[in-house]
Amino acid sequence: MADYDVIVIGAGNGGLTAAADLARRGVKVLLLERHNVPGGCATSFVRGRFEFEVALHQLSGLGTPEKPGPLRGLMHRLGVLGKVDFVEEDTLYRTLIPGTFSVTLKANKVELVATLKDKFPDEGSAIEKFFDLVWDFSTQMISVYYLKDPETSKEKYPLYFKYALKTSQEVLDSFFKDPFLKMAIASYWGYVGLPPSRLSFTDLAILLWAYTEFKPYHMKGGSQALSNAILDSFIAAGGNVHFNCGAKEIVLSEGRARGVITENGDEISAWAVISNASTISTYTELLDSAAVDRDTLRMLGSRSLGPSAVCVYCGLDCEPGDLGIDVSTQFITLNTDMEHQFASWRTLDTPETCGMTCYDVADPEFSPAGACQIVLIVLQYADHWYAIPPTQYAETKYRYAQGLLNIAERAYPGFIDALEEVEVSTPLTHLRYLGHPGGAFYGFDQYAKDSNLFVSPLSGIEGLYFAGAWAGMGGFQPTLESGVAAARAAQGYLEKRGAL
Amino acid sequence: MTSRDFREDIEGYRKLKEEITILQKYAVERTWERGLVNRVIERLHPKRLDLVVSEVREETASAKTLRLVSPRGYLPPFQAGQYINLFVTLAGVRTARPYSIVSSPAQTAYYDITVRRVDEGFVSNYLLDEVKPGDRFESTGPEGQFFYNPLFHGHDLVFIAGGSGITPFMSMIRDVTDRGIDRTIHIIYGSRNPGDIIFGDELADRTSRHRNLTYTPVISEPPPSYKGHTGFITAALMQELVGDIAGKMFYLCGPEEMYRFCLPELAAMNVPGKRIRCEVFGPPKDISTEPGWPESLSKDTTVTVALRGGPTLSALRGEPLIVSLERAGIAVPNACRSGECSLCRTKLLSGEVFQPAGVKVRKSDRQFGYIHACMAYPLTDLEILI
Repeated sequence: MADYDVIVIGAGNGGLTAAADLARRGVKVLLLERHNVPGGCATSFVRGRFEFEVALHQLSGLGTPEKPGPLRGLMHRLGVLGKVDFVEEDTLYRTLIPGTFSVTLKANKVELVATLKDKFPDEGSAIEKFFDLVWDFSTQMISVYYLKDPETSKEKYPLYFKYALKTSQEVLDSFFKDPFLKMAIASYWGYVGLPPSRLSFTDLAILLWAYTEFKPYHMKGGSQALSNAILDSFIAAGGNVHFNCGAKEIVLSEGRARGVITENGDEISAWAVISNASTISTYTELLDSAAVDRDTLRMLGSRSLGPSAVCVYCGLDCEPGDLGIDVSTQFITLNTDMEHQFASWRTLDTPETCGMTCYDVADPEFSPAGACQIVLIVLQYADHWYAIPPTQYAETKYRYAQGLLNIAERAYPGFIDALEEVEVSTPLTHLRYLGHPGGAFYGFDQYAKDSNLFVSPLSGIEGLYFAGAWAGMGGFQPTLESGVAAARAAQGYLEKRGAL
Repeated sequence: MTSRDFREDIEGYRKLKEEITILQKYAVERTWERGLVNRVIERLHPKRLDLVVSEVREETASAKTLRLVSPRGYLPPFQAGQYINLFVTLAGVRTARPYSIVSSPAQTAYYDITVRRVDEGFVSNYLLDEVKPGDRFESTGPEGQFFYNPLFHGHDLVFIAGGSGITPFMSMIRDVTDRGIDRTIHIIYGSRNPGDIIFGDELADRTSRHRNLTYTPVISEPPPSYKGHTGFITAALMQELVGDIAGKMFYLCGPEEMYRFCLPELAAMNVPGKRIRCEVFGPPKDISTEPGWPESLSKDTTVTVALRGGPTLSALRGEPLIVSLERAGIAVPNACRSGECSLCRTKLLSGEVFQPAGVKVRKSDRQFGYIHACMAYPLTDLEILI
């Protein structure tokens, strides 16, 4: 007998999805969350008359009702379609160097190719060929990776076998000359956290293809609305949730995960455990390291922590149009040197790039009338933040954030004058709320060698499953999908063990 | 997977496999990281502080300052204007109250908090009458949003304080004057009578020594001989004292009546909303006078509150839900007790509550039935999930 069939540790995207999916299939689930709010990254906070979206910039994979993407199916499966209002954006992004360069790419292949050809007429045919490659490659990649074609072979999917593990830089260099063009096409590198020289072509191609085919989205009420809706589905299906209740230990019996001891000292038994905590804290804090085999620990040690970020959440007392902001997503930089920009994520030097997301462009109701909300973001590793003495933390945080505001002001004069609320988060803020080492919300660095092509998402301990960025890819779509994958695996295990 | 692993045929696959082998060979096991995340958080944002009263100082006939130190010798830094939420157990009831830190953030050897007597003050009277050096307390870490933000507040600040609302400003003023920061502060401090002014001598002294600080006490019920500003803090008075409003940031902290009076005055001066900061101030004294309270309901009647999977208790309509829960021995996390911090976020499964305007509940929380128990008043019988 066990108190529960499954205990899920952590109510982030992966944990919530896993818990809701299992509960809706009649599995008896307990969801534990250290905080009092579900969502992990997928949350919001209120300052003054603004409710700030914490993490979601563009939701991928949803697709339209007419042309649904994989995430729409998942939302249906979780019973949240209709409970959350999704807002479609018609633009991928604008890449901007203030005073020097600007190009805006629509979420439409024909239009974005035409825009780039118009901007870079000398490289017109290369642009067409490149985007044809991106589309053909992505189609093949979907067949191999997602649909798991059993007949997969080099002959059947030649583009996949040739390009999957090339770096984005190699491919861009083989097509294009102009550094502005390469930068404009590779702008999504910031969403993965690796510069084109380290970013697999797979990741860049899939981002461009999926955001264009399925359109970027966000939600009314922000990602907290999605977290609340999934939790609602979970509770409605009979799931039990304990907030303000972290896990202290995963209980093993005969090498199998058999329950959890909470931070209050309560021992709760289950047939399986799904951890939405980082794999690092799962193996080093929640499990007795002696119970973890050496290969697993070596694998863990061979991977590097991914970046966190500094975010400046800005509430402005004007509409985006008053400042000339007419697209939801922008990548603003001061140069085309993406290698240098990446290197700067390890320093506190004045930032030279700034992601800018304005939710009110596509959804004028996102903020109160006459106001808008803009999030400025630059990725940052955490190591140098660890080294700041606590007494100098606030000052350092504000100095760094000022650099981001200055970029926004250069791009859109009047920005600073319109500020009504400003809140700053740093890698330490993300570490505090997520409990992840390094505040690394994408989990490990997203190198190809760390993808599921090489690393199994399974734990190596029977009855223990992972959901979330650390067991696969970072970002909303991957972490939501990871929860369903973990739920399936756990359910299969329960059936095999005769627990259901 | 077929007999032959297709991945071997992907260009570059073997090279990466070799890289992984080498990386694993030289990997440092991450077991050394055990506890690291908590240690990093603890020095900045500990969830709980253990505190010992080291000194009690009388400020006025009705206010005392408690100096709090850590038995472990470490208190985290804070931003001037922030508060700690002090937990107390009185008559068997564990509750808490937020108190602004009045000492300068330039040092964290101690936090000073200043407590003023409140009519029927359950906690404040205990702190004033019973507490002595050596007493121990537990509190949250420093919290709150009422502080100077260098990113957009500017260099010209107007502080409008009422009564014990002077406390967050004291920390800010000590910070600016002690450290010689280039920032101008006008403090306008309303009190009922001269004897109620807390920190009056220190404010006068600092004003005499720092040209960037001006201090104006305003007395609403002055004795006959009183010379100085009297009445309320009106637009005319503020205009006279601070002159041109351009570029200034106005901060307000005081009793609810002060906001009700001063905010329209600031509006009359054409101070834009983005140049006004208000500290939150706890639940209103009489909830039934708030706009939107159903006239037919008496605040002195009771309803039943059932906790899913827990006990059922009785609750006064006119009292914040968190107080009824605490009285029944049910602990709900909390820090601001003013609807802002969201730590007491609770799911309402059935029934209806009254939440006064300005409670900072997320949009989707409203949609999915979450309330902030510190500023939610039960209108009907409730079922809640904690």
